[in-house]
Amino acid sequence: MRFVDNLNIDFLSKRKKAYVISAVILVLGIISLLIRGVELGIDFKGGTQIALQFENPVEISDIRENLDNIGLGNIEVKTFGGETGILVRTELQEIPADIFPKVISAIERSIEKNFPNTQTTIVDSTLNSVTIRFATPEVAKDINTKLFEEGFQTSLATRATENLDVVFRVSIADWIEETLREKLPDNRFDVLKEEIVGPKIGGELKQDAIIAIVLALIVILIYLGFRFKFAFAIGAVAALFHDVMITLGVFSLLYGVIPGLNLEISVSVVAAFLTLVGYSINDTVVVFDRVRENVKIHKTAPLEDNINTAINKTMRRTIVTSATTLFVVTVLLFAGGEVLRGFAFTLFLGILVGTYSSIFVASSFVLEYAKSRKMKIEF
Amino acid sequence: MKEFRFRIFVILGAIALCLYLLYPTYADYQNNKKIETEIETIKQTTLSNNPDMSDADIESFLEFKRDSIFNSDLSYRDTREKRVKLGLDLQGGMYIVMEVNTAKLLEKLSKEPNDATFIEILTEAENEIKVTGENLVSTLANKFQERNIRLSRYFGSIREDDADIISRLEEQEEDAVTRAIEIIRNRVDQYGVSEPSIQKQGSRRIIVELPGIAKEEEAKRLLQGSALLEFKLVRDADFTFPIMTSINSTLAKSLNVDTADSAEVVDSNEVLDPDSEEFAKQNPFFSIAQLLDNQGRTADAVVKDSDRQRLMNYLSRQEIQNIIPNDVEFIFGAKPFATQDQEDYYLLYLVNKNSELTGGVIVDAQANIDPQTTEPIVNMQMNSEGAREWARITGSNVGKRCAIILDGFVYSAPVINEKIPSGSSRISGSEDLNEAKLLEIVLKAGALPAPVDVIEERTVGPSLGQDSINQGFNSTMIGFLLVAIFMIIYYKKSGTIADLALFFTIIFIMGILAAFKATLTLPGIAGIILTIGMAVDANVLIYERIREELSTGKTARAAIDSGYANSYSAIFDSNITTFFTGIILYQFGSGPIQGFALTLMIGILSSLFSALVITRLVFDIMAAKGAKVKVG
Repeated sequence: MRFVDNLNIDFLSKRKKAYVISAVILVLGIISLLIRGVELGIDFKGGTQIALQFENPVEISDIRENLDNIGLGNIEVKTFGGETGILVRTELQEIPADIFPKVISAIERSIEKNFPNTQTTIVDSTLNSVTIRFATPEVAKDINTKLFEEGFQTSLATRATENLDVVFRVSIADWIEETLREKLPDNRFDVLKEEIVGPKIGGELKQDAIIAIVLALIVILIYLGFRFKFAFAIGAVAALFHDVMITLGVFSLLYGVIPGLNLEISVSVVAAFLTLVGYSINDTVVVFDRVRENVKIHKTAPLEDNINTAINKTMRRTIVTSATTLFVVTVLLFAGGEVLRGFAFTLFLGILVGTYSSIFVASSFVLEYAKSRKMKIEF
Repeated sequence: MKEFRFRIFVILGAIALCLYLLYPTYADYQNNKKIETEIETIKQTTLSNNPDMSDADIESFLEFKRDSIFNSDLSYRDTREKRVKLGLDLQGGMYIVMEVNTAKLLEKLSKEPNDATFIEILTEAENEIKVTGENLVSTLANKFQERNIRLSRYFGSIREDDADIISRLEEQEEDAVTRAIEIIRNRVDQYGVSEPSIQKQGSRRIIVELPGIAKEEEAKRLLQGSALLEFKLVRDADFTFPIMTSINSTLAKSLNVDTADSAEVVDSNEVLDPDSEEFAKQNPFFSIAQLLDNQGRTADAVVKDSDRQRLMNYLSRQEIQNIIPNDVEFIFGAKPFATQDQEDYYLLYLVNKNSELTGGVIVDAQANIDPQTTEPIVNMQMNSEGAREWARITGSNVGKRCAIILDGFVYSAPVINEKIPSGSSRISGSEDLNEAKLLEIVLKAGALPAPVDVIEERTVGPSLGQDSINQGFNSTMIGFLLVAIFMIIYYKKSGTIADLALFFTIIFIMGILAAFKATLTLPGIAGIILTIGMAVDANVLIYERIREELSTGKTARAAIDSGYANSYSAIFDSNITTFFTGIILYQFGSGPIQGFALTLMIGILSSLFSALVITRLVFDIMAAKGAKVKVG
């Protein structure tokens, strides 16, 4: 099978149109970034996030209603995976002081339900735990196992045989889970994951992510400057920057627009951004390599022609590789599960933009650069 | 064919090596299946015999059975260790990031911790390092210098200059983190988590990964709680040996009644081969706890790692509890005493239940080499209150052994040679300096030098992990098929060759991951899937080039040669830049993301090998045989 055989399109003459298209999307994206911003995931924002899997389908609005007035302020509820999964998130990391007694009384209610008439004394409490003393070591042991089965996070205070104290975790996750257990008693759930991230980590991560992407661009700039010419290096990096910005912009534009697609910046989305940088540079370098070859052979031909032939000659490869990569990314997007969806979506966008940019941005930039400085490119 | 022999040899060698590296993963998977079916039958029989057993009891019973089946065959453990490990996001478990609170440490070290200026500057420095990530001591020192305050006002002695104090504080800061890690590692080991990972990140952060842990609170308490260091007297042989004998005979009786066996308990003086079944039946205790000295001059016994749980079960039986006096208890050594046939043996001690002293009295401990005897020693200092007690204890127990116990396990049990009046003691008998260093850490561990704060906590439940494995596996299969079919349709026979190369690429990635002892995470699987899509790129570049060369009228042989030759620079430059981003990604990420970066980088290398060596060889052979080379 063959397609686009003996292609001979004057890509560069269409570059002005491409500039307009790029500029429009970029501007739209930047406006959206300024106004709407991007939704940062828990990795960056910090907070508490839990994912639950119910036995029967649940209505998000129903869950939201149930969690609205439990004193945790603004709680986000989304679907997770299918219609039985939910994701609950708040920016809080610890239970607010005024809710603390409520959580403890929920624990006590649960003890009373399972072990009626048990004598309990609270002996200690910290920001995120409460220690309850029981009459005998056996009772402490039984309650420790039973309430863990009920869904509480419990621990015997010490491993000594005469230990009377049981420590109960008091966290946002426990409070949400306990509330849902009480309000939806007929629809049991499993905890898929729980995440509690402090604000410190998020701040550092943001910094690291930006450093990583900038560093990647610098390394590429240096390497290409060394292997090709400075104009090419600049063109390639400009194209990469263009890709990252457009993808980020589209990310911001589409946030909350497509149902079931949870577009927020998580660590894996940052990884996807770096991967798209890697993919896009791959594409660009293949074209540049051909330009370099053509310039060596046709020393007198105008740069524009050399670039055009290079793009045309590598077009089949560009299409085939983009196609195979898009295949696997699409598979990931639909079959890879909730955890990888944002990652797969970023790459999907990135590959489209990256392929486009290596033709219309990187090469055009080299041409514009050479033209504006009236320089002749030689290898 | 002669000219290809070397390349064929290299390729087959690489494939064979990867399959060899992957075999344990496969074997472990099979073993697990076997163990789980066994467990399932045990579960069914137990349930039918004891219908009212609670879920938790059954679970813990099955967990115990699982361990004992696993430990019954050494090859199980061997393959488990060599398999490709799964990350927490795939097998479920707990991920905790902790930070050693060095501010608290400096507060403790300060001469005037309540001074207002000191508190103010310390808080300021603490807030600053949250942003800069610098270490606390140097930031604090800068702040003091800015205000022209000499450090000696708050630390060390008046005559010391700032540089000395800074270097000492920095040392202590680092020491505190190292100690915290060592303590946490010991606790996790004793808790019995399989394949935990404990890493230091940055200057004062500790990342702990506990696969398969669902009891979060329990695990967190274990990691954060202060360790309990105790000194307890070891009971001597005259006291211990009769108790052991009595346990042995009672146990023999009750066990044989349990199993409805009418065997008489024979006179224990009769010499039996200690390995024989008969011996084990008559001496259930001594067959597990083997005496080091059969004459009973010392009562030290060693227990196989896999027998420890069984021994503890025996000891907790009511009739045995009645034999053991109330004021003593059996405890194990923390580190294996010896290793034989890949089984670790632990010492079993009988010690007083009440501790003589706790670790709070220890001011300092230092591991050293004794210049006279060149033997490793540990010097230990106690505070005045501890020293007084210590003098009394050592004075009245000369010749006895005193066990140093951390969190319920004995780290050392030195003999008390003489009364120690000053509280400054010398412990000799460590095997090497490393062991002495460990003892130093243990002695200092009585109280963690500084509290550790949990700053990030993530738990993945086992069901989400299993879903992710299934989804990852399915995506890999679908992705591979899509790409493979596309390549065949587009490039026909050459496409098949590229698919073959792609298949080997995946084997290489997995094999290299196994060789690196790397962990496979969900993003790692995504990396493999992505590689499937991108790995064909090198072949595509080459094929398109060969097509071009063929269309200029070259012979098959010449087209292949120049097709490859002309593609090298593009393949090289494009892959190296992608590889760079992989390295940066590896630096940026932690855990799962590093897994992704690693598979991506390995994928690049493997796909290059496949495209440049494997497919090249196939083409060369085809051309040599005079076959028509057609690309699409």
